[in-house]
Amino acid sequence: MKFQINRSHLLEGVQDVMKAVSSRTTIPILTGIKMEVHSEGMVLTGSDNDISIERHIPIEEAGNVNIEVAQPGKIVLSARYFSDIVRKLPGETVEIEVGERFETTLRSGASEFNLIGLDPEEYPRLPQVEEKEVLMIQGDLLRQMIRQTVFAVSTTETRPILTGVNMKLEEGVLTFVSTDSHRLAKRIASIDNSTEGLAFQNVVIPGKSLNELSKIVEESSELVHIVVTNNQVLFKTKNTLFFSRLLDGNYPDTSKLVPSESKTTLVLSTKEFLQAIDRASLLAKEGKNNVVKLATIDETNIQISSNSPEVGKVFENVTTQSMQGEELKISFNAKYMIDALKAMDCSDIEIWFTGAMRPFLIRPTEGETVTQLIVPVRTY
Amino acid sequence: MLGQIIQLDDHLSNKIAAGEVVERPASVVKELVENAIDAKSTRIEIELEEGGLSSIRILDNGSGIEPEDCELAFSRHATSKIKDEQDLFQIRTMGFRGEALPSIASVSHVDMKTGTGNGPGTAMKIVNGRVQQLERANARKGTEITVSALFYNTPARLKHMKTIHTELGNISDVVNRLALGHPHISFRLKHNGKEMLHTNGNGNLLQVIAAVYGMSTAKQMVAVSGQSLDYSIEGFVVKPEVTRASRNYMSFFMNGRYIKNYAVQKALVQAYHTLLPIGRYPIAVLSITMDPSIIDVNVHPSKLEARLSKEPELTALVEDAVKQVLRQLKLIPEPLKQEKRESLYSEQAALSLEHSFQAADIADRPKEDDHQVFLLRSEPSYTTIVSEEIETVKEERAQEVVCEEPENEVSSEVMMHEPAQQEHRMEPATTQKVPVLYPVGQVHGTYIIAQNDQGMYLIDQHAAQERIKYEYFREKVGDIASEVQDLLVPMTFEVTHKEWLILEEHQALLQQVGVFLEHFGTHSYIVRSHPQWFPKGYEQETIEEIIAQVLQEKRTDIKKLREKSAIMMSCKGSIKANHHLTEDGMFTLLETLRRSEDPFTCPHGRPIIVHFSTYELQKMFKRVM
Repeated sequence: MKFQINRSHLLEGVQDVMKAVSSRTTIPILTGIKMEVHSEGMVLTGSDNDISIERHIPIEEAGNVNIEVAQPGKIVLSARYFSDIVRKLPGETVEIEVGERFETTLRSGASEFNLIGLDPEEYPRLPQVEEKEVLMIQGDLLRQMIRQTVFAVSTTETRPILTGVNMKLEEGVLTFVSTDSHRLAKRIASIDNSTEGLAFQNVVIPGKSLNELSKIVEESSELVHIVVTNNQVLFKTKNTLFFSRLLDGNYPDTSKLVPSESKTTLVLSTKEFLQAIDRASLLAKEGKNNVVKLATIDETNIQISSNSPEVGKVFENVTTQSMQGEELKISFNAKYMIDALKAMDCSDIEIWFTGAMRPFLIRPTEGETVTQLIVPVRTY
Repeated sequence: MLGQIIQLDDHLSNKIAAGEVVERPASVVKELVENAIDAKSTRIEIELEEGGLSSIRILDNGSGIEPEDCELAFSRHATSKIKDEQDLFQIRTMGFRGEALPSIASVSHVDMKTGTGNGPGTAMKIVNGRVQQLERANARKGTEITVSALFYNTPARLKHMKTIHTELGNISDVVNRLALGHPHISFRLKHNGKEMLHTNGNGNLLQVIAAVYGMSTAKQMVAVSGQSLDYSIEGFVVKPEVTRASRNYMSFFMNGRYIKNYAVQKALVQAYHTLLPIGRYPIAVLSITMDPSIIDVNVHPSKLEARLSKEPELTALVEDAVKQVLRQLKLIPEPLKQEKRESLYSEQAALSLEHSFQAADIADRPKEDDHQVFLLRSEPSYTTIVSEEIETVKEERAQEVVCEEPENEVSSEVMMHEPAQQEHRMEPATTQKVPVLYPVGQVHGTYIIAQNDQGMYLIDQHAAQERIKYEYFREKVGDIASEVQDLLVPMTFEVTHKEWLILEEHQALLQQVGVFLEHFGTHSYIVRSHPQWFPKGYEQETIEEIIAQVLQEKRTDIKKLREKSAIMMSCKGSIKANHHLTEDGMFTLLETLRRSEDPFTCPHGRPIIVHFSTYELQKMFKRVM
């Protein structure tokens, strides 16, 4: 195998597939990146068995020649060294040559590296996904939906199904739901570009995969194709295939958790409220639970407070735009509130409380695309 | 002025000796029981009242004392155990100093009845070191000594005594040790009429261990034996799953005598290295026999210490023997295992398919089917044939490895595949200690559940990979680069004269690892450079550690010095908890684990695999009762 490639294109590709490569794996060959060159271009593959990323670099793009192939072939190179080397090579192009025993030479400018490669035949094959039923969504919308939900997934594997985001498609409405059983995040969006009659409910994508995916999808209106199979999901953009395993098991029914009425309703400016909670949590972090208290004072004021006996106390009055219903005192984990508020993307929010012990709902004043649910902390 | 200096009378000098020899009731028991042992008794009974403070009665069936010797036995430096100077260097008895009886008699009331089996016996009574009564008595063979009112005439010593429980604990320690050291003698220890220890004296050490440490501990002991030109060791050590927080459970007997020897104890702990958690110690009973001329116990009257003329050989022997035994064990803890009555349960013998799997595993994949077919067809002789197959395959494999070698020098990632292959080459006969395990699934992203025909296994995935990586890095950290970093400001080290002499002798060792000591005044050294690999900011400490190694062990061992960093590297490089694994990932992990040298504990000594046998599973669900 021998070819020459534009260094910046190679670097971009390598950095994309690197997102799937984990330094900790039980299968040694997965610490490498697979590189295949043929007459149409180059394919880079990285995988940690949960996520696999395949990146194509075409021979020609917009009239520019990226790759000159002298002899096609394939090789697996250590991801850690290969990506660092490519990033730091001096020249504009890189020449890569692989010998019979997988010894690989990288030349660029005046520099020459010799790397020991691994047998590409040992590299696991990527899942085959048939693209029959395709869901299409704009890249920027997908990124936003991920960002607004993925933070709420569980980080422990105690209930593995909760480490993922539940993706649902029903009657042209795409829903993302995630919960770690202390809080819940939900985002809906209507989709019109999908295969007729396509619907699914119990698709659960690991939160880790979605985090990596959102780094690869571009912030543009270009469409991302999503194909769901039994145990895999494929996200396809122009040059990249992103495979992720799906979590086994049934995602709990979350539709009944969201309260439909409110006993106390607050309307607040997102930014002011977020900053007040953030300040109060400075002292709350000292304790174990990071607990912040919220109490209604009158129609236009609420008080945020936190008390950490060994450190001190904080009180802050926040002006509300409106307050309706019963008086209320409630405590909650400040981190959950901060995460939720950061995901709101709107200037004003509504909070629906149904009592000090009941979960409360945060939603934008306009539209119902995002819903955040937080379970309060009981204080005695 | 004359007569300032006088010769003390016997009574007084006995009392002075008693200060050393008779420290507390336990020492009385020790001295008297040792006498009984030296008298070739096969049954020794010890009866105590109130922790031995009010009375200690020792009854044996040994040779007894001739009537005419009785009075002499209680005088100072009188003994039947050695006769001349030569005997002192050939001691084959427990005692030899001739001090015990007079010392004990000087601080207590002693009643003795003894008989040799020929002619009438003797009964005597001694108070305050003086014979009060000496008469003929019945002629039972053996000796019965009763020591009462101990320390009645030394009030300070009496005050020094702790509670009855403490004294009793000390006595029972002493008797336990004597019993462990002499499995051929039946010991019976009674306190206030209650039996505390009874060994049957049939020579089975394991039964003594069961009597001393309990049945369940004894079941976890494995036999150890080893031999060198000068020493031979026999005994039992415990499986690493049973540990104690104290070092006191390691007992060493040298020619039947309980000896505290730091070096041997260290060697034993070293044999358990990485198998035990930090701060935990094994239980062990090791009996070491040697020619009496290479051991000198004439160090202290209590004879707890000994000087050995070939100590390094002994420590090496202990370490090797114990290591070898531990290596061969299947050290998978079975948490639910209780008293198991196997006889009721008959088991259908099965074809050992594990063999075929190993063979197939080592050979190229496509051969797997051939093996299986072959196996089933020619069952009677399959083991030999398969093992031949393995051998040839291994040889081929080894040759491959050899010719590949020159190229595998640069990339560490590639080297990851090496250790397994190297092992095959070095020890072609290694039997795999962990059976083949088939992964079933994962719990909490942390533990792998696996099964085979022996039952169910739980594997800690982090610990498993840590072990695999540790064995790789352990060798790797020893390969240090030879680059040396010069220093702008040199470091100085001060040593004592004794240390200086040792260092001078071993300069070459230090230079091998890149530490160059230059003289700088008397007894101090200056160091102008240090090897490049030294941890940054810890150069001085590292050199001090290496010097300490040379001073203590007369050698340098970089691998040992850097073991901590090997453990850290292996911990950091391993998958953590809450990490999902695919079935392939689990299978690869388990297979690599099987090939590691010590697949049972992680480098910190925590267990990797726990086994639930099919029988236990059935029992849990009351399918068998």
